[in-house]
Amino acid sequence: MLSHSRCVTRNVSRFIAVISQGNNVLARQAVSVVLDSAREGSDLLLSSAPGLSASRSVTVNNPAKCGARSSVFQIRYFRTSSACRNEVITVKTPAFAESVTEGDVRWEKAVGDSVKEDEVVCEIETDKTSVQVPSPAAGVIEELLVPDGEKVEGGQALFKLRKGAVAAQAAEAPAAVAAPPPPAAATPPASAVGPIPTTMPPVPPVPGAAISATPVSAIKPTDAPAAFADGRGIPARTEHRVKMNRMRLRIAQRLKEAQNTCAMLTTFNEVDMSNISEMRKAYKDTFLKKHNIKLGFMSAFVKASAYALMDQPSVNGVIDDTTKEVVYRDYVDISVAVATPKGLVVPVIRGVEGMNFADIEKTINELGEKARKNELAVEDMDGGTFTISNGGVFGSMFGTPIINPPQSAILGMHGIFDRPVAIGGKVEIRPMMYVALTYDHRLIDGREAVTFLRKIKAVVEDPRVLLLDL
Amino acid sequence: MILRTFSNLCAQSQACFRSARAKSTLSDVIDETGKSGLILKSLSTDIFENLALEDWIHDHVDLQNRNMLFLWSNAPAVVIGRHQNPWQECNLQVMRQKGIPLARRRSGGGTVFHDLGNVNFTFFTSKKNYDRHRNLQVVTSALKGLRPDMDVRATERFDILLNGQHKISGTAAKLGRTAAYHHCTLLCSADRALLSAVLKPTCQGIKSNATQSVPSPVKNLLDEDPTLDCDTIMDSVASQYNTEFGFSSPVTLVDPSDELSLPGIQRMACELLAWEWTFGRTPKFSICTTFELKNDTSICNATLNMDIKNGIIETCDIEVPSDWLPVELSREFSLHLIGGKLCPYQTSVIAAAFLRTIPQNKEFERKMYNLCRRVVFMM
Repeated sequence: MLSHSRCVTRNVSRFIAVISQGNNVLARQAVSVVLDSAREGSDLLLSSAPGLSASRSVTVNNPAKCGARSSVFQIRYFRTSSACRNEVITVKTPAFAESVTEGDVRWEKAVGDSVKEDEVVCEIETDKTSVQVPSPAAGVIEELLVPDGEKVEGGQALFKLRKGAVAAQAAEAPAAVAAPPPPAAATPPASAVGPIPTTMPPVPPVPGAAISATPVSAIKPTDAPAAFADGRGIPARTEHRVKMNRMRLRIAQRLKEAQNTCAMLTTFNEVDMSNISEMRKAYKDTFLKKHNIKLGFMSAFVKASAYALMDQPSVNGVIDDTTKEVVYRDYVDISVAVATPKGLVVPVIRGVEGMNFADIEKTINELGEKARKNELAVEDMDGGTFTISNGGVFGSMFGTPIINPPQSAILGMHGIFDRPVAIGGKVEIRPMMYVALTYDHRLIDGREAVTFLRKIKAVVEDPRVLLLDL
Repeated sequence: MILRTFSNLCAQSQACFRSARAKSTLSDVIDETGKSGLILKSLSTDIFENLALEDWIHDHVDLQNRNMLFLWSNAPAVVIGRHQNPWQECNLQVMRQKGIPLARRRSGGGTVFHDLGNVNFTFFTSKKNYDRHRNLQVVTSALKGLRPDMDVRATERFDILLNGQHKISGTAAKLGRTAAYHHCTLLCSADRALLSAVLKPTCQGIKSNATQSVPSPVKNLLDEDPTLDCDTIMDSVASQYNTEFGFSSPVTLVDPSDELSLPGIQRMACELLAWEWTFGRTPKFSICTTFELKNDTSICNATLNMDIKNGIIETCDIEVPSDWLPVELSREFSLHLIGGKLCPYQTSVIAAAFLRTIPQNKEFERKMYNLCRRVVFMM
């Protein structure tokens, strides 16, 4: 008995010494030791040997039948926190069903991604079946042992996982991870352009700055900061940098070039919208019935511009800087700037000089539909001799649009607001809109620009001018 | 076969609970019926809603001791397998013209064309009870029951062949953690001309390790026997399912857009609609092709080399003979495409903006325009 207990004591001390060697590998093992030295024939198995390797497990056969006899020593289960002791495990391909022998692996996660327990790491495609391979534990993917698309067999080593706390950077970015995928990407097709056709809800007066959101947002801001990182309402004062995409740079360059070569200035006027509103009110139902589309304001301005452009050909022309010629065009293609969630697009209405209000509305409607369904083609957006930009949709009152190269002028429409105006010596309240024409003074002189704008005003204020060709 | 709507089923189930709980989800109701076999039929012909319903059932219904059969058909759509390349499998240009949507399902396998003349069957079981041959036997027995002389056989590859030659059904499956589903198509009276038109690659020169479809000659069941129709076939398969597995379930109608009974299904359908899923999940691939550029006066051959990962253009090299178009222009254009999606719309926007920035020259403009259009056409 005595010898037995001495032996037991020696074993226990050896055991404790081994543990206190502080081997990482051992620490993960759960250990329970219950000693009952008084018990005869108690099974005390210590399978530990000096120089333990990681894979050895230290187990003690717990004589559960110990019963009421008190234990001399009782050491409880202990488990060190897995966060401090990382361990790399190799995950194997699961066995396949129905006597299938091999499949192609398709990775869902990459090296360095952190995964939760049971999260899908890859899918294996075998014979028309897709099998998910979940992660056996939470951790970080250490290595992918098979390239994407390669064949694997059941039981083959698939990937290495480092168990433990999620990677440091992942922990820091709970909010960043939620950073919404580029707004362009997240939008389901249904929610493209806002109010479409008739009010063609275009742009802030910078039509040249095309493709704002699309390619830019394709570059995910990888260091998107968490707005309220410490969760206490104190905003984090970080900044993050997003590289400008090539297209944006090019357009910026072009705009600046245009600004440097063109002698740009803007002339203003105001338009009394009462007559056109009245016309609209009177005829909108009949128009809808006959043409199946709504009658808006855009058609009036488009037609007015075309009329004025035919009257003042220099506004429809452009200077060719390379050959030092002025190009006059006898057709009118009007670019209408449209703001879509994915950025600015500028579809073109071609041959406006030959169209009436109905034709123009139909074309605007078609282009609006295409823009909404993301179906605009290159031929829909190429060219244009003059641009109309509508800042009024966003509530702009007054502003100077910027010319959209290679054109010579741009008309900016703004918001319609009720204003007191002097009519026949009295003050009346009329719905008024400010319009602005930015033009290239190298080609168009002041008189022409002002006359042009006045013509637009005259047509919109009284469409009969068109009929009478005044 | 008694057809009941979902609400009838609720009413007739043991649901004293039903009155207490204002809204039960479909899985609650199914549990309440206590049945081990259930047949559902979709009220919707929207491919995304129906695929979302499959996923919903797979995720939310307890299939350990239960089997389910889901009957559905869709308005024209092309459905590619989980790991396939849409540019390789179907002609996206034709589909856009005809308004045929593209969907990527979550199960593996190849590409199929769906329309209202095609019926789909999904067999839900636990992973243990997953048995595709048995499921296909249900279908072939049902057809033989209707027309004993018809030669329909399931093959080793889980296709069903008519007269040993023509494929009338293809199969795909998904094994989850505890449950599985196996679905198959059945061509009853599909538009074969449209089928052949859309199941062609969008552009040539694609190199990819994505799962490739194996093309087979197809035939409609109605070509063989015009007296059949889709509804009869669906009913027959449903009864055969009951017979084979020993259930006595009526066919219950389900509306896949009912968010109250199917919480979370709208979000699932949105996920399936997203570009990131349908196109963005394409395994890495490259396009290497030559094409002709025409002008009023001359023709030339240009080459295009692109590497695409997750649907985004990673590298792009468009080479045009320098006598036709200045090298800087084509090079600049290729560089502008990098980082963008392989999407004709996005590329059109970039192309239109690019065209506005090139120095004025009528001839170059025309040529560049042609080049842009040609490149967009390949997407």
